[in-house]
Amino acid sequence: MDTGESVRITLRSIRAHKLRSALTVVGVVIGIASVITFATFGASVEAEIVGDIETSNAGNIYVFGTPAGDDDFDRTLQPVFTEYDIQQLEEIAGVQAVLPRGIVQTQSVRHGNQTLARQQVTAVRPASFTQGVLVEGRSFGADEEAVVVNERMAGSFSENLTTGERLTMTMPDGGERNVTVVGVVNGTRGEVPVSEFARQPRVYVPIDPFYESVVESPSVGVRQRAYPQVTLVIDPREIPETQSAIQTYLSGESDARSLSADDTELVARSGNDFVEEISDVIERITRFVTGIAVIALVVGAIGIANVMLVSVTERTREIGIMKAVGARNRDVMQVFLVEAALLGTIGSLLGVPLGLLVGYGATRYAEVTFSLAPLWMGLAVGVGVLVGVVAGLYPAWRAARVDPIDALRHE
Amino acid sequence: MSESANTTVRVDGVSKQYDLGGTVTALDDVSLDLSAGSYTAVMGPSGSGKSTLLNLIGGLDTPSSGQVVVNGQDVSAASEAERADIRGTEVGFVFQTFNLMPRLTAVENVALPLVFDGWDRTRRRERAASLLSSVGLGDRTDHVPAELSGGQRQRVAIARALSTDPALILADEPTGNVDTDTGAQILDLFDALHAAGNTFLLVTHERHVAERAERIVHVEDGHIRSVEDVSGGQH
Ligand SMILES: Nc1ncnc2c1ncn2[C@@H]1O[C@H](COP(=O)(O)OP(=O)(O)OP(=O)(O)O)[C@@H](O)[C@H]1O
Ligand SMILES: [Mg+2]
Repeated sequence: MDTGESVRITLRSIRAHKLRSALTVVGVVIGIASVITFATFGASVEAEIVGDIETSNAGNIYVFGTPAGDDDFDRTLQPVFTEYDIQQLEEIAGVQAVLPRGIVQTQSVRHGNQTLARQQVTAVRPASFTQGVLVEGRSFGADEEAVVVNERMAGSFSENLTTGERLTMTMPDGGERNVTVVGVVNGTRGEVPVSEFARQPRVYVPIDPFYESVVESPSVGVRQRAYPQVTLVIDPREIPETQSAIQTYLSGESDARSLSADDTELVARSGNDFVEEISDVIERITRFVTGIAVIALVVGAIGIANVMLVSVTERTREIGIMKAVGARNRDVMQVFLVEAALLGTIGSLLGVPLGLLVGYGATRYAEVTFSLAPLWMGLAVGVGVLVGVVAGLYPAWRAARVDPIDALRHE
Repeated sequence: MSESANTTVRVDGVSKQYDLGGTVTALDDVSLDLSAGSYTAVMGPSGSGKSTLLNLIGGLDTPSSGQVVVNGQDVSAASEAERADIRGTEVGFVFQTFNLMPRLTAVENVALPLVFDGWDRTRRRERAASLLSSVGLGDRTDHVPAELSGGQRQRVAIARALSTDPALILADEPTGNVDTDTGAQILDLFDALHAAGNTFLLVTHERHVAERAERIVHVEDGHIRSVEDVSGGQH
């Protein structure tokens, strides 16, 4: 039977039951919209985080220790990477720079008459500041009593901190150190690639003379500075080779290996690894939440099936008429499948924009850039139509099997 | 009547039983031939099997035993899909209760058998519109059944029955739901269509309706009691 005619018959039937059809469609709309909302939101969060990492950190390898089975890098790390390790790492082919970083404990940081308690003070090498990250001023020298702050820190004081002004750091023992701010940055080279870190207010100090965490190097037998985390800037063309060379060193003869607990894994992770890991986690969460949303879609499908069964009963006589004038079973089936598919299609066509709208709202609320998940959208529309068809199959089959004589007697 | 090329319907030893707890015999060894262009009425008391006979000939139902041949096709041996095709193209039904699709317009109702026969939309509409004109409803093509009188609805149903130019028109008490004047109009229309060469089998309770036909088949209790030529004399 020609599809146009079955669509016409269907539209008439839907129009004759506007409210009922509308409510059925609403069920599908909610299902599709929730799937789209969660999928879009997930994709947006992923794109945001991944984008942050990719733009700045493709050629970085992050080296840190992590207790077995724990992938969480945001924890108190032990200072195990010694100066000796750093020298060894610098000699690996493909390594362009080694950027250790350590934490210097302070009680507070004061500027003018304003004191901020417990500020993170990070000890880095001057090489951590490239022209790209400097907003004003310059980097500090290797053993200069000077600091660099990030923009968040500069903005943390009521009178904005600028180059040339002085900060007072109160050390844990109560001693005070006066330092000059020589530069303001919007990030550092070799920072762990999570945007949250960059957003925290930070003060950067030169390792020498501020960083004092020392251990005895098992390899050379002298006390040296040791760092909890090291970033290596490497030749982007040789990431895999260099990464595995670094990993080999860490797992083998390194001081860090000797100084770490046996169940601690020393990992050399590239920016790409982070991207993959984070994408993976977000994708898993997105899939899970979206999967829950699919339940709403199933409920929508049940709604369609229910309404179609009612429709078949109500239109039994029409089925009889169609059969009396030459409709084959499959023609009857087609009429009802088209109706179910149409309900599903209308539902998804309304559900997709609604889902996008809510998803957009959610990204605005979460302050992430909105990005589309075209695959999910296509899938949602496909699923909507499919849901209609599947939900309509049994009712349509029932309709097709109606005996024409019984049907014509039906009131 | 001997079997010949112009036999439109041959009913041969047909029985129909319904099993509902006990067995109801609706038709018992019925044989009947309808020649092309003939006009036959079936009369009999309620429950005598008239509608059953019509439904078997029209392929709406299948006999328990015996054979029904319509226009050379064995309806009794046909598959379900084949019977659907026979219903669509070889016969046209006219029912007491009209049986129009309530949400389709007159012209769409008339065109419905053509949908299942695979005609394209333009040709369907043309044919349906011209048939509606020929039954005097040229000005009602876009009305739905609820907007038409009983007589008008029955004329739509007749136009529909004619749409695929079937070999046979089966009418089950077509005047049962309309007033006497309207009934007469419908019977006049049948006469005209008969004169134009259509073959009719009409079920009725009313003697004056049956007398419009060439002969009357009297059915009683599932048997054919007699066949009466309307011009006179019993067979
Ligand atoms: N689907 C069915 N199931 C069971 N019995 C049936 C069925 N259809 C018809 N019958 C029985 O078969 C017999 C003949 O029925 P049929 O409808 O052919 O009678 P009819 O002559 O058309 O009667 P009426 O003039 O009242 O329309 C009746 O006894 C009826 O009860
Ligand atoms: Mg009857």
